[in-house]
Amino acid sequence: MMLEDELTVSTRECDGVAIIDLSGDVTTFAEEKINNAYHEVTSKGARHVLLNFRQNDYINSAGIAILIGIVTEVTRNEQKLAVSGLSPHFQKIFRMVGLAQYAEIYQDEEEALAAFKRQA
Amino acid sequence: MSGETPPRDPVERVIELRLPSKLGYERVAMDTASSLARRMGFQPDRVESLKTAVSEAVTNAIEHGNEHDAAMKVVVLLTARAGELIVDVADQGRKPFDHNQTIRRPVIEEVLEQDDKGGWGIWLIRELMDEVEFSTAPSGGNQIRMVIHLEQ
Amino acid sequence: MNTPACSPASLELSLPSELGYEVIARDAVAAFACRLGIPAERIEDLKTVLCEACINAMEHGNSLDPGLRVQIFCRIEAERLVVEVLDQGVSRYTAAPTPLSIGEKVAGQGSARGMGLLLISQLCDEAGFVTRSGPGNCFRFAFHRQPGHCSSGDR
Repeated sequence: MMLEDELTVSTRECDGVAIIDLSGDVTTFAEEKINNAYHEVTSKGARHVLLNFRQNDYINSAGIAILIGIVTEVTRNEQKLAVSGLSPHFQKIFRMVGLAQYAEIYQDEEEALAAFKRQA
Repeated sequence: MSGETPPRDPVERVIELRLPSKLGYERVAMDTASSLARRMGFQPDRVESLKTAVSEAVTNAIEHGNEHDAAMKVVVLLTARAGELIVDVADQGRKPFDHNQTIRRPVIEEVLEQDDKGGWGIWLIRELMDEVEFSTAPSGGNQIRMVIHLEQ
Repeated sequence: MNTPACSPASLELSLPSELGYEVIARDAVAAFACRLGIPAERIEDLKTVLCEACINAMEHGNSLDPGLRVQIFCRIEAERLVVEVLDQGVSRYTAAPTPLSIGEKVAGQGSARGMGLLLISQLCDEAGFVTRSGPGNCFRFAFHRQPGHCSSGDR
């Protein structure tokens, strides 16, 4: 009996920003889906990438490891990365592990898109 | 066990919970059962039914079986199977179930006449769960087994 | 709801060593902590710490053999919530002596994994392995109760 709240990943584009929506568990089982979505938007030439969480209830260290992998590629591909929609607890965790040094953290999608616009 | 290859997709997974016999702790059993049921794919209304049934069963074990002796434990076993969730609630009490209670359906008009307005617990459990069975726990106390089926 | 000092507030649970089941343990322990009046924000920390400790026990202690159990003991001790996570010790494990920094991980100088213990140490008030005579690892962590911050206990 698998118990995961299976991660749903989808991609869309808004104001020149590639948005990756993530709802469900961000754990070791999420690796392929997250990486595939990132590679998809990157192959389409995305310069700005937003990981848009949906107040996900469960993100663990294995999930954070996947995101560090994304940060590695974003740095290599000279893209800009931001995250939004994290609960206050996971915003704290992202700052704690240092992910905030590589990706700006915004409350929600609108705030993130506005910030990307200012930088553009 | 050793030397044998475990089955690739084992039939069931068991979570065991041991709680003090103190009112309020039924909440822990409710939240644990609902967490499991939700992730097994039960619909929200079924999860609510399960929570009520678990709450009634654990409260019975605390109040009647273990007579509020906090040192005595209520043991809750949650068994997840492919198509169902089984919840066993056992107390360590020496007082067996009142058999009459386990089969009777309370009638509101009669209950209104009584001083004790309780006694709905077991009836509710029967209404809400797909299978209910009363037995003696391995520990010698009372045990109730409740089964809820996963409808796809 | 506050628990009188004389009440043996404790919770024991055991679960299979299969990833995903740590979430059920998490919700059980969170409900227990809630009854003890631990503030909501600290319960979020407790949830993350418990999951990481369970995953370590499942992955490292029990080598992800679903037939092996992870046991969790929670109790209140001198204004602290103490949680012990025990595995059946297929292998001993300890923290890496010098965990990689995020910069090193991002630069690809090693695995991005292995952050569980780091998260644990930053989120709880005490954490560490407890020496046991028998086989298996016992990881203990504690959260201090903050008097005056008690929530109602009901969610």
